[in-house]
Amino acid sequence: MKLALLLLIPPAIWAQVTQEAIMRSPDREWLTYHGDYSATRHSALRQITPANAKSLVAKWVFHVEGAKKLEASPIVHDGLMYVSNTNEMYALDARNGRKVWYYRASGAKGTRVNRGSAILGDNVYFVTADCHLVALNRSTGNLIFDVEYASMDAGYSTSIAPLAIGKGILVGVAGGGSGQRGFVASLHPDTGKELWRFWTVPGKGEPGSETWGGFPAEMGGAPTWTTGSYDPELDIVYWPTGNPWPDFYGGRRPGDNLYSDCVVALDGTTGKLKWHFQFTPHDVWDWDANENPVLLDAEFRGKRRKLLVQANRNGYYYVLDRVTGEFLHAKPFVNKLDWTTGLDDKGRPKVKPEKIPTPAGTKVCPSVRGASNWMSPSYDSVTGLFYVVTLEQCDIIVASAKEPVPSTGFRGTGNEGIPTEPGKFYLRALDVLSGDKRWEYPMPGPGVMWAGTVSTAGGVVFSGDDDGNLVAVDAKSGKDLWHFATGHSLFASPITYMVDGRQYVTIATESDIFTFGLFSAE
Amino acid sequence: MRLLLMLACALHAQRELIPRDAASVDAGKQIYMGSCSGCHGATGEGSQGPSLLSGRASRLPDRTLLGSIKNGLPGTSMPDFPMGDTKVAQVAAYVRSLTSPAIATTVAGDDMKGRELFFGAGRCSSCHMIMGKGGHPGPDLSNIAADRTVPQLRESIAKPSARITDGFRGVSVTLAGGKTVHGVAKNHNNYSLQVLDHEGKLHLINRAQVVNLEWKEQSLMPAIGNAADAQNLIAFLARQAARGKLGGAQ
Repeated sequence: MKLALLLLIPPAIWAQVTQEAIMRSPDREWLTYHGDYSATRHSALRQITPANAKSLVAKWVFHVEGAKKLEASPIVHDGLMYVSNTNEMYALDARNGRKVWYYRASGAKGTRVNRGSAILGDNVYFVTADCHLVALNRSTGNLIFDVEYASMDAGYSTSIAPLAIGKGILVGVAGGGSGQRGFVASLHPDTGKELWRFWTVPGKGEPGSETWGGFPAEMGGAPTWTTGSYDPELDIVYWPTGNPWPDFYGGRRPGDNLYSDCVVALDGTTGKLKWHFQFTPHDVWDWDANENPVLLDAEFRGKRRKLLVQANRNGYYYVLDRVTGEFLHAKPFVNKLDWTTGLDDKGRPKVKPEKIPTPAGTKVCPSVRGASNWMSPSYDSVTGLFYVVTLEQCDIIVASAKEPVPSTGFRGTGNEGIPTEPGKFYLRALDVLSGDKRWEYPMPGPGVMWAGTVSTAGGVVFSGDDDGNLVAVDAKSGKDLWHFATGHSLFASPITYMVDGRQYVTIATESDIFTFGLFSAE
Repeated sequence: MRLLLMLACALHAQRELIPRDAASVDAGKQIYMGSCSGCHGATGEGSQGPSLLSGRASRLPDRTLLGSIKNGLPGTSMPDFPMGDTKVAQVAAYVRSLTSPAIATTVAGDDMKGRELFFGAGRCSSCHMIMGKGGHPGPDLSNIAADRTVPQLRESIAKPSARITDGFRGVSVTLAGGKTVHGVAKNHNNYSLQVLDHEGKLHLINRAQVVNLEWKEQSLMPAIGNAADAQNLIAFLARQAARGKLGGAQ
């Protein structure tokens, strides 16, 4: 009966991507940057299991001509995979990697990397490095619109994967290291017209502006360079924000510097602020809160709650109530954490004064790269585990009181590693409610590592490592199941999808898209 | 302030060393056909002399291009053409027009009439789209003036089959079971075939399913015979750049 009903639906309507379809992702498809609105990056696919993962083989590789650093999570829909790179987009046949169409935004300026695309209706969306939102017909790559939402002349640039909610395409900007004023904007899916904009640094006289000591909002930073999550029932968008500017010297911006290093909960329809939680008030360590805000519902201390969790760059794993923004719990998820004596009962860090960077240099743990960063974590509600790539490292941070001038490369000075204490990466599984470590998978390192994870109902977690391998580990134990050396450094998080009854796993490397599946003798 | 203005004027003047207007390009073409085409080909494709469409000769700075025409290149077979700076600039204007995106050039013709033709009697929009308006499966023309030169537009309109862009070759595919798909092949190899049909639907096909494959030798696009129509159409298409003149001219 169900099949008969499906056959009656005209193909064009059947194929339209709706918010409801995105709410079902990731099932066979991967319809948004995080795979799902909740940013759990947990797939319902179960063909690949701990028992058969060792028979994974490469199915196809697609070379992105001229690419130096692919950072995108692809979108997969209706047999096509959408891969974005700086100012360009490819649609590939997801079964075999054959190019179906290609779009280059002629005249786009800027060379920033691109982290992915969004899909809604009949369009796919991506941003160019100079802050234009581009909409393309998903079947043909035909241009629907190309609309500027921030000016490169004002110093703005972007690399973000947009987030498509039913009523808008949400975008953000970079600028934490160069002194622009961050914002999240919702643009109309059909025209690109701006529907609302939330400034992450309040204007003069607005609530929160008193936390800047008169520092100009236009230079405040608090960028919005990673993709937020969304609760369609509450119609709340959860967007993480980056550091205040200048990164390492806070003397000219006394106060908490709202809404830098926050997660802001915004009404999806109006963009109005519902609540905010600031992880690192008055940040002088460049600890953007741009790690994914992951949404889940669970019983917490005897009460069923809608939660938001985040493994923050400052070294703490946080559990918040996502309806109210109430701080519930936090726990360090790295050993190398020395900048506080703990958090108070509101989650505010008790900062050690000697950890404020000085002109002579101050050793601080975690490092500027952070205990984790924008590499995507994932969460499996069956194991109850939160899988996150972590970095154990400290840095020497040097601060300077020099007059800040935006877009000059000035960041209040900077950081350097400690040669005798190289960082080490681990893929860790945390109990999602307590933050307790259940297992860890050490990376060979020290190396380059910006790849995150995808977990699956089959009980396998995929991650990159810092030696260029895509690895599969057992979701329950962290036991090594399989690996493949891509020969490249990894800057993107893997995804998984199914076409024609076969489960695939894909990761973008520096210049290629690698796709794997179980061996089958055909 | 005055210094800034002077600087702006100087920059403007520098940009205008080689004119872009249609009259200069046409005048330059007349001279070029008489004096240059013997070695560089009628449209700069090169013969005894190098191509002006690609390689070093296509990337010369304005002053170097003007100097090369006026003074020749000693030690090579490129002679000097001491015909006065205006004519030298006109020749340079024509040479530049051979490689400039259409949006960066001034084109003769009535673009409004071209628009009417495109969306009306010419039925171009039954196969092509501009900013989401039009049909399938022809190339999207939303940004065509940023991606193509005027000579390329002219060739596509006058001789559509001279060069069929990758991904737009016509094909009819008969599948096991008897179903036939007509459209353009977005890609193909010995194992798979990706066809976009006239309704804009993609067919991702395994070659094992294919019973018969018939490639179209001719472009699916008819030639525009009427010279005035063709010129008006070129004038219209030469305005189609999603980011306007600045973006397109980059």
